[in-house]
Amino acid sequence: MKVEIDTRSIWVLLGIKTLRPLFFILISIGLWAVVTMEPADGLSPEGQRAIGVFLLCLVLWVSNMVPVAITSLLAIVLVPLLGILPRSETYAFFGNEAVFFILGAFILAGAVMHSGLSNRIALTMMKRYGHSPRRLLVSIFLLAAVLSFFMSEHAVAAMLLPIALEISKALGLRPGRSNYGKLLFFALAWGSVIGGVATFLGGARVPLALGILQETTDSTIGFIEYTVAVFPLVVVLLIVGYLVLTRIFPVDIPDVAKAMGVIEKRAKGLGRLRYSEYAVGVVMLLTIAAWSTLGHTIGLSTVSLIAVAVLFVFRLVRWKNIEEYVNWGIILMYGGAIILGSALDKSGAARWLVESLISDWATSQWAVFAVFSFLAIALTESMSNAAVIAVLVPVSIGMSDNLGIDPALLTYAIAVPAGLAFMLPMSTPANAIAISSGYVSVKDMVKGGFIMFLTAWVVFNLVAAFYWPLIGLGG
Amino acid sequence: MSALGYFDNPWALKIDLMLRGIRVVDPLAKAWACGTSGIDMLLPEETLVNIPCREEFTERSPYELRKREETHYITDGVSEMNAEILPMPEFYSRKTTTGVPFGDIAVVHGSYTVITPSPKCDFFDTDSECRYCTLNKNIDGVPKRDFTVEEVLEAVGVVLKEGLSKIIYLSVGFTEGDDGGIEFLSPYIKAIKKHYSCLLAVEALPPKKNRWIDDTYALGADSILYNMGIFDAELFEVICPGRSRLVGRKRYLDALKYAVGIFPNGTVASHLIVGLEPPGSTRIGIDYLTGMGVVPILPIYRPRAGRTLRIEPLTTEIIIPVFKHLYTAVKKSGVNFKWVRDISMVTTPAEASMLMEGAESEMSLLKNLYGSHLGLKAAWGLSTIRRKLRVKNGDK
Ligand code: SF4
Repeated sequence: MKVEIDTRSIWVLLGIKTLRPLFFILISIGLWAVVTMEPADGLSPEGQRAIGVFLLCLVLWVSNMVPVAITSLLAIVLVPLLGILPRSETYAFFGNEAVFFILGAFILAGAVMHSGLSNRIALTMMKRYGHSPRRLLVSIFLLAAVLSFFMSEHAVAAMLLPIALEISKALGLRPGRSNYGKLLFFALAWGSVIGGVATFLGGARVPLALGILQETTDSTIGFIEYTVAVFPLVVVLLIVGYLVLTRIFPVDIPDVAKAMGVIEKRAKGLGRLRYSEYAVGVVMLLTIAAWSTLGHTIGLSTVSLIAVAVLFVFRLVRWKNIEEYVNWGIILMYGGAIILGSALDKSGAARWLVESLISDWATSQWAVFAVFSFLAIALTESMSNAAVIAVLVPVSIGMSDNLGIDPALLTYAIAVPAGLAFMLPMSTPANAIAISSGYVSVKDMVKGGFIMFLTAWVVFNLVAAFYWPLIGLGG
Repeated sequence: MSALGYFDNPWALKIDLMLRGIRVVDPLAKAWACGTSGIDMLLPEETLVNIPCREEFTERSPYELRKREETHYITDGVSEMNAEILPMPEFYSRKTTTGVPFGDIAVVHGSYTVITPSPKCDFFDTDSECRYCTLNKNIDGVPKRDFTVEEVLEAVGVVLKEGLSKIIYLSVGFTEGDDGGIEFLSPYIKAIKKHYSCLLAVEALPPKKNRWIDDTYALGADSILYNMGIFDAELFEVICPGRSRLVGRKRYLDALKYAVGIFPNGTVASHLIVGLEPPGSTRIGIDYLTGMGVVPILPIYRPRAGRTLRIEPLTTEIIIPVFKHLYTAVKKSGVNFKWVRDISMVTTPAEASMLMEGAESEMSLLKNLYGSHLGLKAAWGLSTIRRKLRVKNGDK
């Protein structure tokens, strides 16, 4: 038995204990007040309740008073219970693609780790680039970003998860305590997120936004045109992201030299590439190729689950080896978050929030641009990227005529920030994957993510104001 | 007028009786004392005392226990004081389901019942044995076995049922290892705490690592005793060679200091045996321990035939100021001394208070409040809540 005795004064401990029930009583009263309040103008009662449930979950997710997965289950229960969505519809949202993508990602990561391949890649990376903690960190950050230029950022995060876990293990980093452990997983998540906005290939949201734009206005945005417009933002965010992270979580290991000996020894101990590593590697490469080429047509989750099936068909892994790698808590959390996002969307709460904010702030073209981009980046923290596009793009296109703004410009204002989710695990699978490692807590993510959230919004608007006219966009 | 001058204060008389012992003529009383460490008596003002009566030195005692009609009294030939022989606990005559006499397992000392689950100490029968130790009962050379957890549980059950003591005192001798005996005691502590709502004091050797002190508290001990016995560094080395060499006086002090931070105020205690070192050094020990927040408890050394370690001269006039100093030091340091009291074998700070002018009301309050059934229940409840608040399982 390993025990710790809290030697703080008994009154302090009692105070802390009573805070917990008090906290739950207060948030219950808060929810009850929002639910029973007369709905605001233009907001349906369901919408108001959806906002209440959303606020409740946000407080619980951030405060971590109950495990994140349990908060999600609470959302799943409250949405039908408060009559926001019918029960069958609510539970059906859990079958969302993103949930299965995450499940597939955990199983694939488990297979790669179990085969020893991730160990080999991590050790090779550390031998080559890991001579200083900072160099190693930068290499993971850039690797995640660059890979996300060409394939789904979600897939990149999933692919790098086992490697980062192995590196942390080799360096003896303590989950939840080690700053360097946090940095590695932040690098993985934020690298994927930032890299994911650089091209159309980083995620489904830009193609989705373009689809809506094309259907309603017949105009479109080209692949190169988009990348050229967004690239400076990506570069600035990568630099700022690195600086923010290393400032908030200073590197707390002097060097990796101590680990190098272990790494050398372990690398030698690996021997030649074994059949299982080779075979899992081939499946992984084919999966990555399929994610990049077929992801948009058959879906990323379909690709992941086919890859999972292949692993089992060829007996490259067994279920009992994989089980421990599947973080069911994160899967429940994500499923609940999707239900919550859908509740906000379907109840009209999201649209109401957008319209009431836009009408107050729509004083000039740039104000509209700034407000839409702010809404996109703010909403994407709690809703899926695709849901943000689905809520905001039609509204913005509808308003563009009245305000005399190019609808394509407003589509940029939404599609790019909608991918920049830094603050919460439910914002994007990449963040959820980082949290699942156990090294990064929700509190850590909110702390660093809030600075990035504001920085990303400001930099995006600066890029749009000063750089886009130079390339003939929006001028 | 008494020749000795202690008959007007039963608390002072208790000290003198413990120092000089008593001659017992009454055959029934003699039978009571036979086989136990002394005779448990109740003097006026509910003063509980265990008086030596079998040791050689008691033959020269000025005190004698006599009986007039049905009443016992203690006399020095001039004065007398009524005294009640505490009835032998009923469970002493019974056996566990495995056939072990309960009296072999549990010994009542007033509000405490002492249980020593293992009769062993690695120092026994070696030159490391503490010179004053009376616990080595392995005279016939046949090693005695440890009592099982079930036997100890059964014994605790009968003790609590009979209602003589409400506090169980578990003790253990020295064993090699860094745990001070806690690893051995842990199943006993856990089982007692699981089955009974009683307060539990544990006497162990200071463990080498502080984590064992955390564990002792987490397991359910409400009080911990690391008995130094002797405060003087040189005498400690001479009289307790084993403990001095393998535990070290410094470790005693460090462990006690650490335990004060873990256990509730007033529940970390240490014995300083009066008579084994000069009273001046006992006083220094009292100041040092109370300064750390430890409650000093003062037993009086009982010399055995052929093994006298007692410093001379040693009289009650000399040691009463030490007991008075105990009370003053404890009061000054703010250490809560209210839970450690009513132990027939020793003198606690609470009892020492009765030697002071005008302290009676405080002691009777203590008895009424802390000695009551409700008081003990409250103490148990508070102790349990405190533990729940403080102990965090590291695995979580
Ligand atoms: S450690 Fe305790 S049991 Fe062992 S010899 Fe010393 S006093 Fe006796």
